Amino acid sequence: MTRQLPLAIEFRPSASFGTFFAGAKNQEAANSVQALTSGRGERYLYLWGRADVGKTHLLQAACGELHSAQQSVAYVPLAEAQDLAPEMLDGLEHMALICLDDLQAVSGDGAWEQAIFSLFNHCRDAGSRLLVAGNQPVAELPLGLADLQSRLTWGPAYHLASLSAGELPLALREMARHRRLELPAETAEYLLRRYPRDLRSLQGLLEHLDQTSLAAQRRLTVPFVREALQSLAHPAAHAPDRAAG
Amino acid sequence: MSLWTRCVARLESDLPPQQFNTWIRPLQAVEAEDEILLLAPNRFVLDWVRNHYIAQIAEFLAGFCGGHPPRLLVEIGTRSSGPEGAKPTSFSSSVSGDDRGAKRRTNNTPTNLNRSFNFDTFVEGKSNQIARAASMQIGQNPGTAYNPLFIYGGVGLGKTHLMHAIGNLIQDCNPSARVVYLHSERFVAEMVKALQHNRIDDFKRHYRTVNALLIDDVQFFAGKERSQEEFFHTFNALFESQQQIILSSDRFPKEVSGLEERLRSRFGWGLTVAIEPPDLETRVAILQSKALQLKAELPSEVAFFIGKRIRSNIRELEGALRRVLANSQFTGKPITLDFAKEALRDMLVAQDKLVTIENIQKTVAEYFQIRTSDLLSGKRSRSIARPRQIAMTLAKELTSHSLPEIGNAFGGRDHTTVLYANRQIAKLREEDPRIAEDYTNLLRTLTS
Repeated sequence: MTRQLPLAIEFRPSASFGTFFAGAKNQEAANSVQALTSGRGERYLYLWGRADVGKTHLLQAACGELHSAQQSVAYVPLAEAQDLAPEMLDGLEHMALICLDDLQAVSGDGAWEQAIFSLFNHCRDAGSRLLVAGNQPVAELPLGLADLQSRLTWGPAYHLASLSAGELPLALREMARHRRLELPAETAEYLLRRYPRDLRSLQGLLEHLDQTSLAAQRRLTVPFVREALQSLAHPAAHAPDRAAG
Repeated sequence: MSLWTRCVARLESDLPPQQFNTWIRPLQAVEAEDEILLLAPNRFVLDWVRNHYIAQIAEFLAGFCGGHPPRLLVEIGTRSSGPEGAKPTSFSSSVSGDDRGAKRRTNNTPTNLNRSFNFDTFVEGKSNQIARAASMQIGQNPGTAYNPLFIYGGVGLGKTHLMHAIGNLIQDCNPSARVVYLHSERFVAEMVKALQHNRIDDFKRHYRTVNALLIDDVQFFAGKERSQEEFFHTFNALFESQQQIILSSDRFPKEVSGLEERLRSRFGWGLTVAIEPPDLETRVAILQSKALQLKAELPSEVAFFIGKRIRSNIRELEGALRRVLANSQFTGKPITLDFAKEALRDMLVAQDKLVTIENIQKTVAEYFQIRTSDLLSGKRSRSIARPRQIAMTLAKELTSHSLPEIGNAFGGRDHTTVLYANRQIAKLREEDPRIAEDYTNLLRTLTS
């Protein structure tokens, strides 16, 4: 049988509230972010938790929602601060929503802290909404500027927790469904037994399976998946750079 | 679907989400028949987009238009669809000259005052009653009662609230009064902009002709000599024409470092008032007042629970309250003590982790420049015994350890020693301002 070549156009579901799998522990946080986005909730929220619990996903979902409603939004990935400059925050208070991701990456950097502090003040004057995420609670971030620390505590803070072992297969099947892939329960269990259980790596696996199943015109059965993933000799090495959360 | 919308959809599918969110989403388009103007929020984003994406955008546009694409321009600016209820800044609107095609941020009532920060919503307690009384008086008699008023205190204790309250009261008494509130850092930014655009005379005129100028966090003037000089002249002009000046800082005027002496001494010409961290009763009253403003029912046992556990500052207190209210709203459950404990669990775990008896001993020893081992030793000289009593009192106040446990952690002392230390420090804080100050400083260090 001729192998069908996948088209160069791949379907990449963008981060939205609909594609966020909150599990039992993160529903309140997701609700609060959604409320802030729709203008019914707080004007400022802080989200914290370890990597891969969905902070970036929620921030980008909020941006996406307002952007498609023709509102102005800004998303600043502070983890990439070495390529950016604090001047990047100038004037952002005129946006309807500003999202600062990975705050810990600039904690202790005087120029960035000062710029974020100014942004807080300007946002308050301008009435814009602010969503900040970091890997620790505000009190534990090594911030040098006490004024910034106090402003960061000025709204509700939500801890995003990892999904439980029981929730992971459901989350994985949901992720597949958003890619319009049908992932049987036993295949999901198979993947979770053999590959790293973080959502980022799992997104990468799904992307690979998406391509191979399309090319081979096969369903995602356990035998097919086993065969398709044989090329990935070292499962842990298959970590795509695309952010899933 | 507009051309730009099609272009955005294409970019979203082509670029990694991080790049798309960071560089494409903040762009706002103003589309005309033969031109698309993209507005970037600042110079940094503008340059980045020009260097990395503009060719790709132009290529997509050409593809959509079959070879006759509209002219593509990128400039700094913002469209009118900013945050709702946005209040423009006082001066910057008239000096940002480079947002062609975008709606200018014009401004006729440049106060920046937040109406919800007034005296009715300011909860009075022992920690702020002098500051509040002086502020009331100034609000009613600006320019004559005390000039300048200098409010100092730790972060998140209500300095900004009080400043807005004075400004609002001045305007309530005299609606034509020109009251301008701004953060010192904004004063600096606006001055730099005015210099860049050759509008410094307008800037000077603007600030030297107001009836009340309220500048928050003056410690941020530190090291900015040109701004200090301009502010010095503004200060003199307002002072001489008996217009009210209100300043705030996180420390006493003389202790603000990086400021010229002539400014520092002027800051102390009028009245200087302190705001201290609120005591438990005031914290509870603040929580109840905020809940009332948010039209929520807050049982007093819950208010006491939050007030007891969150001691650092009012912002954090408000953050905790909002968290409890939001959770109750989403889940539809009533606010009970157990509900509040559950809602604040992560917050309190994080706090408990920070404040341990060992941490208190270490912080107190460093503060008084003695050794931690001295605190645990049998030494009874006052230079050791007093810090030890303070450390025991802080351990009682900030941790949930019992008196015997605290005594044990201080070199195996009896629980009655801890009790005595607590009473002794409470008494000394009333009598000796230095001990009161040491205690407050340590409390702030340990809880912020």
